[in-house]
Amino acid sequence: MAAGGGGSCDPLAPAGVPCAFSPHSQAYFALASTDGHLRVWETANNRLHQEYVPSAHLSGTCTCLAWAPARLQAKESPQRKKRKSEAVGMSNQTDLLALGTAVGSILLYSTVKGELHSKLISGGHDNRVNCIQWHQDSGCLYSCSDDKHIVEWNVQTCKVKCKWKGDNSSVSSLCISPDGKMLLSAGRTIKLWVLETKEVYRHFTGHATPVSSLMFTTIRPPNESQPFDGITGLYFLSGAVHDRLLNVWQVRSENKEKSAVMSFTVTDEPVYIDLTLSENKEEPVKLAVVCRDGQVHLFEHILNGYCKKPLTSNCTIQIATPGKGKKSTPKPIPILAAGFCSDKMSLLLVYGSWFQPTIERVALNSREPHMCLVRDISNCWAPKVETAITKVRTPVMNSEAKVLVPGIPGHHAAIKPAPPQTEQVESKRKSGGNEVSIEERLGAMDIDTHKKGKEDLQTNSFPVLLTQGLESNDFEMLNKVLQTRNVNLIKKTVLRMPLHTIIPLLQELTKRLQGHPNSAVLMVQWLKCVLTVHASYLSTLPDLVPQLGTLYQLMESRVKTFQKLSHLHGKLILLITQVTASEKTKGATSPGQKAKLVYEEESSEEESDDEIADKDSEDNWDEDEEESESEKDEDVEEEDEDAEGKDEENGEDRDTASEKELNGDSDLDPENESEEE
Amino acid sequence: MVEEENIRVVRCGGSELNFRRAVFSADSKYIFCVSGDFVKVYSTVTEECVHILHGHRNLVTGIQLNPNNHLQLYSCSLDGTIKLWDYIDGILIKTFIVGCKLHALFTLAQAEDSVFVIVNKEKPDIFQLVSVKLPKSSSQEVEAKELSFVLDYINQSPKCIAFGNEGVYVAAVREFYLSVYFFKKKTTSRFTLSSSRNKKHAKNNFTCVACHPTEDCIASGHMDGKIRLWRNFYDDKKYTYTCLHWHHDMVMDLAFSVTGTSLLSGGRESVLVEWRDATEKNKEFLPRLGATIEHISVSPAGDLFCTSHSDNKIIIIHRNLEASAVIQGLVKDRSIFTGLMIDPRTKALVLNGKPGHLQFYSLQSDKQLYNLDIIQQEYINDYGLIQIELTKAAFGCFGNWLATVEQRQEKETELELQMKLWMYNKKTQGFILNTKINMPHEDCITALCFCNAEKSEQPTLVTASKDGYFKVWILTDDSDIYKKAVGWTCDFVGSYHKYQATNCCFSEDGSLLAVSFEEIVTIWDSVTWELKCTFCQRAGKIRHLCFGRLTCSKYLLGATENGILCCWNLLSCALEWNAKLNVRVMEPDPNSENIAAISQSSVGSDLFVFKPSEPRPLYIQKGISREKVQWGVFVPRDVPESFTSEAYQWLNRSQFYFLTKSQSLLTFSTKSPEEKLTPTSKQLLAEESLPTTPFYFILGKHRQQQDEKLNETLENELVQLPLTENIPAISELLHTPAHVLPSAAFLCSMFVNSLLLSKETKSAKEIPEDVDMEEEKESEDSDEENDFTEKVQDTSNTGLGEDIIHQLSKSEEKELRKFRKIDYSWIAAL
Repeated sequence: MAAGGGGSCDPLAPAGVPCAFSPHSQAYFALASTDGHLRVWETANNRLHQEYVPSAHLSGTCTCLAWAPARLQAKESPQRKKRKSEAVGMSNQTDLLALGTAVGSILLYSTVKGELHSKLISGGHDNRVNCIQWHQDSGCLYSCSDDKHIVEWNVQTCKVKCKWKGDNSSVSSLCISPDGKMLLSAGRTIKLWVLETKEVYRHFTGHATPVSSLMFTTIRPPNESQPFDGITGLYFLSGAVHDRLLNVWQVRSENKEKSAVMSFTVTDEPVYIDLTLSENKEEPVKLAVVCRDGQVHLFEHILNGYCKKPLTSNCTIQIATPGKGKKSTPKPIPILAAGFCSDKMSLLLVYGSWFQPTIERVALNSREPHMCLVRDISNCWAPKVETAITKVRTPVMNSEAKVLVPGIPGHHAAIKPAPPQTEQVESKRKSGGNEVSIEERLGAMDIDTHKKGKEDLQTNSFPVLLTQGLESNDFEMLNKVLQTRNVNLIKKTVLRMPLHTIIPLLQELTKRLQGHPNSAVLMVQWLKCVLTVHASYLSTLPDLVPQLGTLYQLMESRVKTFQKLSHLHGKLILLITQVTASEKTKGATSPGQKAKLVYEEESSEEESDDEIADKDSEDNWDEDEEESESEKDEDVEEEDEDAEGKDEENGEDRDTASEKELNGDSDLDPENESEEE
Repeated sequence: MVEEENIRVVRCGGSELNFRRAVFSADSKYIFCVSGDFVKVYSTVTEECVHILHGHRNLVTGIQLNPNNHLQLYSCSLDGTIKLWDYIDGILIKTFIVGCKLHALFTLAQAEDSVFVIVNKEKPDIFQLVSVKLPKSSSQEVEAKELSFVLDYINQSPKCIAFGNEGVYVAAVREFYLSVYFFKKKTTSRFTLSSSRNKKHAKNNFTCVACHPTEDCIASGHMDGKIRLWRNFYDDKKYTYTCLHWHHDMVMDLAFSVTGTSLLSGGRESVLVEWRDATEKNKEFLPRLGATIEHISVSPAGDLFCTSHSDNKIIIIHRNLEASAVIQGLVKDRSIFTGLMIDPRTKALVLNGKPGHLQFYSLQSDKQLYNLDIIQQEYINDYGLIQIELTKAAFGCFGNWLATVEQRQEKETELELQMKLWMYNKKTQGFILNTKINMPHEDCITALCFCNAEKSEQPTLVTASKDGYFKVWILTDDSDIYKKAVGWTCDFVGSYHKYQATNCCFSEDGSLLAVSFEEIVTIWDSVTWELKCTFCQRAGKIRHLCFGRLTCSKYLLGATENGILCCWNLLSCALEWNAKLNVRVMEPDPNSENIAAISQSSVGSDLFVFKPSEPRPLYIQKGISREKVQWGVFVPRDVPESFTSEAYQWLNRSQFYFLTKSQSLLTFSTKSPEEKLTPTSKQLLAEESLPTTPFYFILGKHRQQQDEKLNETLENELVQLPLTENIPAISELLHTPAHVLPSAAFLCSMFVNSLLLSKETKSAKEIPEDVDMEEEKESEDSDEENDFTEKVQDTSNTGLGEDIIHQLSKSEEKELRKFRKIDYSWIAAL
């Protein structure tokens, strides 16, 4: 066989790219891609940790890789000072990675230093290396190759310790027994070697195609009656190229049975296998098999002897893209590898392209027979150089997020009706109200058509339009009415509104108040009118509190800063007056001052009337509301009038009333005044 | 076994890296930094820690490469020793005992057998630069008492000392003057910047100094952001200086490049400035480095720079001003408000990180995973600005929800508060903002807690605030005709007599909510939000509150500021027990009934682990830390341990981590120190053997052929020269690192002896036979079924002759040595 670069041309080469999780807590995932690059990913944050290109990556691509066991360490550490104080506790560091290449050399790469550590060539293989296994304890490395040999390497000296012919054809897979004394190799047949003497201990036959994977599944024999010699009674697993069955074999001492004990069926050729070793009789072996079709099959089985029927998987995991829109169908995302986490309850999945895989930890839920995870990996293709260095992740903040500000429903708990009895009453009332409204609507429509025939918008058409708008929820109609600025017109309209529309009107006003401040300016006028005119009606409603709760909260939150505003206002006025006084004569300043004070006055004048009327009937909160609301009006109106001039109608009365209010208002900052003067 | 299971407090990660300038190795492959009592060796390529050099008993204050052997590293420490390390293998070579506290270390290639250290002798704040003569001795510990005084009254920081122009002079700065000491003339010149002359800008104190490597030029950094380049300072009168000004704030560190063509400077702006040719026009910037630059260093090879930052990271920067790697410890720039949390998804430790970020720190690999940018606003790195702080965070519903609270308070009354609720999107594997709430409360939020009961149908979050209310937020359906959506809304607002709400906590099953209002604990039903009962002990404000778990779920624990720990029984609504304990941290273990409490006393902090059902603690450890412990957290273990001893059973399922005021993360370990240390001091057994270049193949083959030829000729002549590889004395000589070898004089006789050869070469003939014998045996050994095994000896590839030599057994070597001893006569003949 020619030492070809890469096995893809060979029909009997195993599918999938060589990849492996680092031992102990699986902090890294190494993947040798077909372009000859070795990439090591951090599993916890899905970050490319390092990339290494072997110098001969084009001629000899990497065919297999294996992490060195983390316990590879000096037999005696140089100093062992018994320090009672703190010591740095580093977790087991994994370092060396052995890479087998298509030309027969083996590279040892140090992931800590990020450089090639050594190269095992001399006396080794002269053809494609198929599998590498590290010995758990002795620091030896075993490799097998297409040149039919198995080589035992001494990693300390980087020299061949022993080399022997493993099969008549190429040796495709290796596995070391849990006690480290036996070695499984697979070519045409599976052989169990005694490592010390390099003798064949057992033969197993059954696969028609080259075996691509071998793995011991137990570390103790399930029946503990007989003494354990380290190998007898153990089960191991094998998968082969183009074979949809994974066979399980048992090493038995007495009868030399050569065929498989049982088998697992999967949907395609196994590409990557991981399992949790069962340590006792009761604990099932958990097996995760990644197939060439990109699915993961999970098996959970207690190994106890012969089983005729091939077992099917307990759970299948697939990953697909979210088909955006109706046209594009979800596409499957291939899973590259799967490894059990150390808690045995979750699985690390590597999926996507080998160029930029995504690594995710998935909690296992054995009850579901099929898991389909929808993942969007389209953005993974974006270059991540910046994040790779700064390690900053920016969570998505888009406009779809809900924003709650004080006053918006949901920011504060909704005020709910306390006793359940009133709810019934409320519902009755509501139903009654609805019936009436239908009649009313019919009537209103009549009137409306009648009015529209005349085609002139008079003041008396406003209530009708408003009622109709409220019932049909017609935005334009409502706009037409509610955007008027004429206070008199508003007053008249409100007076003529039918009583049952008051609550819907208030709710509509509340909704509009939550909107843009400019529109809220207009709504305040309406609100004020409604509350003053219909206060008596509102006070009779039993469910007033829940109905107008949001309105109340809104007002409360909006006037929260009023005190500060009025402070500022007062100070500014003082400043302005003093500035103007210094510039001009006293006579000239006083009218200006008056004009300023006029704005504040206007609303309070009205309010004072209303308040007296309402005080008896309304609840406490309603008072607050009105006060605050009217106070707000002042601010609002200031803006209003600055913009558009003055209302002629009420101009006269204000001045008289302003005197009163001035006294009241100026109480807010007497200190300031004294200071200034 | 019991002896081994001795619980100790160990530092478990995120140690400080930015205490001193980092030092590059000569080949720029490694970078060294001091980290507490240790020196850490990092790879500049992979950002991985290669070795931890431990041996010092106090803070390490300085490290420098050995100028005479670039594979060795000097370190000095407050414990009064200078240690010499082999950093490649992580071995301590020598210890020089100086005796007094050492504050900084400098080496000079010109001063071969001495190093310079900063010591303070008489008064506590007067520091001197002295040179220490390191005596040559073969012993491990050497006393180095020969100090010679160089400069007096200097600044303690090593940034204020620099050796220039190949050790001709040393420059030191302090306050308003620069002093230069010339070694040859043994004189000191002093240059003063008059602070009185320009009183308006009296901030021109010196902060750091650097010397040009080849020219007579000193660069000094100043408080006002100016860099002054001093020249011609040999003359006290004619000296000149030029100013470079870009920094608006204090210059934190300066460094010249190896060739001296450019000067690097950095400061609070987090911008590395490279001044080319020392001119103001020619400058390059590397901006947005994240935090204040504290130190700058340059690799001896000149290809890399590195900057140490105040947020405990080292950035390795290429010559072309491109950041190539970041070595990040636990970010510890600012105070931790959020406490310690565990992300249920990644199992990472989560706490405040970079400004406005949450950092995710992997405890298993002692590495920062990433920073999650919560505030998403450009951070302005300037002194005195009041920033938006991330004050609270909590994970809910198995990591599907993250709630964060950020606040900015410029004055007492001006509070800006925002709460964000992030949903974990499985599709994109990241957090997405779901709801943003402005001013969720009128005042600061004191506590935040999700209801983590498994059966709860809708996610629930409770916030408690100083404004006297607690709010319950629930996830509701916000779908409309345009889109499906969920959003959080307020479900309930509760208060209790206008007291400030200080803590909140859900019971394990989520049925009860406990909210503490100053001294009073209120219990609310989580379905109807009715007040069920109140507990009041009048023992001070409640500082911590938590429910018991599992079998102890009927208990509620509260720790008060007056130092009383109360346990109430929820069934009888009565106080079960109380204890006098000034609890600073109280954390329940999510996997068991245990609760850990750390109490604070004047001496230190003590740990108590107890079950709520019995007031007798399960485990007490006194004096876990001298400092105040700020936060603690139980981290569930992936694989449960199996301690049988009753005192340690609480560590079986979870591990307890705590954070002290100086932000070192500590935990409890039962492993013996040796066991804990071995992974770090482990050495790679594998030898490095690299055919590095293609030339090797050519040369290697050539050499092999030569060897073979040589061997052939040797065989023909029947003269057996011992090859060097074969003799133990020679191999010892060649393979032992030079720095651990005894003196050459001692070795000489041995070496010469080993080269001597007997005239009789009988033994050589015996050897081949021996080999054959062995091979025969092997072939016999080959197993059944025709699978013939061929054993290959270690050096099968080398020629036959070498093989033969390898077979020299020990007995034969002894024989040879005997011969050698006898046979000296031929020397005389020469």
